[in-house]
Amino acid sequence: MRKQERRAWICLALALVLFGGLCLFTYRYVKDGSKWVGHYGNTQIFTDGRINRGTVTDRHDEVLLHCTPDGLEYSGDWTTRVSTVHAVGDGSGNIASGAINMFAGQLIGYDLLNGTYDTTANGKKIQLTIDANANRVAYNALYGRTGTVGVYNWKTGEILCMVSTPSFDPAYEAPEDEGSYYFNNFLSGTITPGSTFKLVTAASVIDNMEDRGDFSFECDGVNEYGDQGTEFHDVYEHGEVDFREALAVSCNGAFGELSRKLGGKTLKKTTEQVGLSKSLEFDGIETATGSFSFPTDDDIKLSWAGIGQADDLVNPCSMMVYMGAIANGGEAVQPTLIKSTSFIDEIRGVKTLGKYLSPETAAELKEMMKNNVVENYGEDNFPGMDMYAKSGTAETGGDDSDAWFVGFTNDEEAPYAFVVWVKDGGSGAGAAAPIARQVIQELQAWNYYE
Amino acid sequence: MLAAYILLIAIVSLLTTRATPEIWGYFMVEDGGNFPITHWENVIGRSKSADLNIPLATVSNNQALLTRYDEEHWVYKDLDSKNGSFINGRQLDSSKKYLIEPGDEIVTGGVYSTVTPPSLEETQNNEVMRRMDKEPVAPWKILLAITMFQAMTVVQLVLGMGEEITVGAVASFVILSIVMWAYVAFFKAMGRKGFEMEMIAFFMSTINLAVTTSFDPSNTFKELVALLLGVGLMIFMCIYLRDLERTRKLRPMLLALSAVALLVNLIFGRAEFGATNWISIGSLQMQPSEIVKIAFIAIGAGTLEELYDKRNTVMYAIFSLFCLGCLALMNDFGTALIFFATYLVVSFLRSGDFSRMILTGVGALAMGLMALRFKPHIAARFSAWGHVWDPEVVDAAGYQQTRTMSFGAGGGMLGLGAGNGSLKGVVASNTDLVFGFVMEEWGYIIAVLLVLCIITLSLFAVMSIVAGRSTFYTICACGAATMFMVQTMLNVFGSIDLFPLTGVTFPFVSTGGTSMLASWAMLAYFKASDMRRDASLAVRKEEVWHA
Repeated sequence: MRKQERRAWICLALALVLFGGLCLFTYRYVKDGSKWVGHYGNTQIFTDGRINRGTVTDRHDEVLLHCTPDGLEYSGDWTTRVSTVHAVGDGSGNIASGAINMFAGQLIGYDLLNGTYDTTANGKKIQLTIDANANRVAYNALYGRTGTVGVYNWKTGEILCMVSTPSFDPAYEAPEDEGSYYFNNFLSGTITPGSTFKLVTAASVIDNMEDRGDFSFECDGVNEYGDQGTEFHDVYEHGEVDFREALAVSCNGAFGELSRKLGGKTLKKTTEQVGLSKSLEFDGIETATGSFSFPTDDDIKLSWAGIGQADDLVNPCSMMVYMGAIANGGEAVQPTLIKSTSFIDEIRGVKTLGKYLSPETAAELKEMMKNNVVENYGEDNFPGMDMYAKSGTAETGGDDSDAWFVGFTNDEEAPYAFVVWVKDGGSGAGAAAPIARQVIQELQAWNYYE
Repeated sequence: MLAAYILLIAIVSLLTTRATPEIWGYFMVEDGGNFPITHWENVIGRSKSADLNIPLATVSNNQALLTRYDEEHWVYKDLDSKNGSFINGRQLDSSKKYLIEPGDEIVTGGVYSTVTPPSLEETQNNEVMRRMDKEPVAPWKILLAITMFQAMTVVQLVLGMGEEITVGAVASFVILSIVMWAYVAFFKAMGRKGFEMEMIAFFMSTINLAVTTSFDPSNTFKELVALLLGVGLMIFMCIYLRDLERTRKLRPMLLALSAVALLVNLIFGRAEFGATNWISIGSLQMQPSEIVKIAFIAIGAGTLEELYDKRNTVMYAIFSLFCLGCLALMNDFGTALIFFATYLVVSFLRSGDFSRMILTGVGALAMGLMALRFKPHIAARFSAWGHVWDPEVVDAAGYQQTRTMSFGAGGGMLGLGAGNGSLKGVVASNTDLVFGFVMEEWGYIIAVLLVLCIITLSLFAVMSIVAGRSTFYTICACGAATMFMVQTMLNVFGSIDLFPLTGVTFPFVSTGGTSMLASWAMLAYFKASDMRRDASLAVRKEEVWHA
């Protein structure tokens, strides 16, 4: 009998497996229950495949979308609809990262305790962090061009503006050429960064070159290099530039030289360190991953990579977060699209992504970005804001270059990091910078109003 | 809340009350001491796991079997030991059994020992000890709670379903409640004390009726009839199981009947959802494989003596193979898996041969993989496993699982209320996907408690071995526990994508007459292992002279 007693452990093992499975299920249920409930197969929540309850508003409670059993009711204003559709989402689920898809669980009013039990069947309100005014301004400023504008508060992580073009009107039939309209350049795009990438190379220089004070480069506007005489053209003949000056005038020749001095490994390390070669995850959204190659055996290609050309592809959202990190003494704050409503979220506060840069590096880079504005873009062009920035004009083989403008403002009331990209927009300072100015002005106006 | 209360009391009571073993006699070893004999069946030997341990090199690991015959007599059987056994100076033939009386001199490997009956004083001491055991919890509070729960269920169903609900369905709940009270009152009057297992089963059955009603109220009454038949069968089996010899004699008949039932199923079977596991007799439809489950347990179990008998083991293996073959031909691979897992566990309990169990398991796995090649519908389920949310699977092979999770999660912790669910629109939601059904209408807490109920019954079965009389009862209980657990695993894990969907029932909870009947009948095996004093009706009530 005693033998059988001992062998009975096998039944206990079975019980343990059953219990373990139950625990695994519970874990998944707590983690993903809201996603399960938000699946279109759930006929309690979905009428004809469309969610039938819940409201999405912007940060000022402006209603962007109201879900009813009779269908989806978007904002009455056309500009509002097209400028917020990538944040709000469409009924058919074409925009995967739209709120209606990502936060269906919250819209329904799902919670762990009550599930979808809801006697009123009105669902819940989701307050997004975006400002519909800023989105409208950004959309109009893009003026029909392909591009993206992203602004976030680098202290709290709240995304205030997120516009991607081309866009479409979700209140009507979806456009024919689906791909590009549904695509959110800000979250899912990977784009040649051009000169904005010099902010990464510069960070690498500050971290790794003790003697950067002695650096000097003689720019003749053509800057031939190597046996084949590869040319690193600059628009102007900059003459003799030091490191600081080289960033202010965005000298390709000088940054090519700096990249070669740093070497592929070092550049790669810095790029990883500032979060550009991995994807961000927030609110269940995963951004596209930037990709780069910094060859150690090809000086020419390395030089191009160091000035944001060659194979460099950056995700705009990651770039914006990097800007926020420079502003915030090197510490990056995770972005978010949902206003924290619960007590627990308030306590949890902002979520940091860790140190992208040392405080010293961040401070020096910040000073240099200020210098860019003073020397090159003109402080007068950004009235009422403490602006730090870098422009970019990326060669992508098209007729025109892509215009970039990235940076941040350092005002107490307006701590905004931003990224603006306009495809075929031409010069970064000329085409992209004014858009950043207009959107931030709009945000500041609301701050003042509030 | 009420449900949680009911189950927690029953679960805690089952897991905390423990039986002090009864003492059937004493085994006195010369210069070795006086050992109480706490089982009906004992191994004498040098092995540490022997019940009566004589740690001397001249004694074989498993020297002999000592089995209780009646109040005074024991049966001694030598297990082919190296040095043989002698009784009163006569060498024993290891192929024969010998009846011994108290005081007979047993010599094993040069050691003298005797068996003595317990003295009146010792019996009384043991009796006092057993009386000091924590008593099973009194059933009245739980009964009242379950009745309230049943009443609330009916109210919820009426509110949730309105016009759709039928008189028959409501009456079924009332009858269930009355039967429950009558059952407890009757056996309480007969002096029985432990009712936790039945309470758990009655509770689970209540959920079953609620699920059945919500799915289709016209089926509720039929389900109730099956339930009552099941309770009846359980009582009958409990009483029959009291006599070990009688039960053993019945086994060849069970074996034959099971074989016939499966063959009849094979020949006259009717396919439903891919498996040909139904037969119709007139308007009556049933799944013979569910009934065979009951017999399968009893056939697999054996007394300690039988475990040392090769023929018995081979017989069991052949019968298992036959069952598996029939089930495979019926395309009922879920049930086949249950039988197989039970076979593995039971044969491990019998032989203790872990490597053989692994080997058999691997062999079966290979066969299973072969089956995958020839059965595309099973292969499809395997390929969907773990990917049910993928866009190309979610509305195809993952349809049932994703709906289970989606609607199930919609129930939250507390559920949408009986009759308010929407999972019922999905095929087999009241059987294969019943876990999700319960989650949606009753909430996560109750759904999980139902699984914990099964775990509790099983843990109880394992714990009861310590005080078990015969390996027959303990193997029965462990076999039944295995069957319940594997069934629950396949059912629950299948519906929530922790395992490929197999389409088996959740004991007591899934709608289905035969399943309900079989679940109740299996409960008899658990009752038979309940050694708490006067707790179980499957154990003869202790006699008056003890007091």
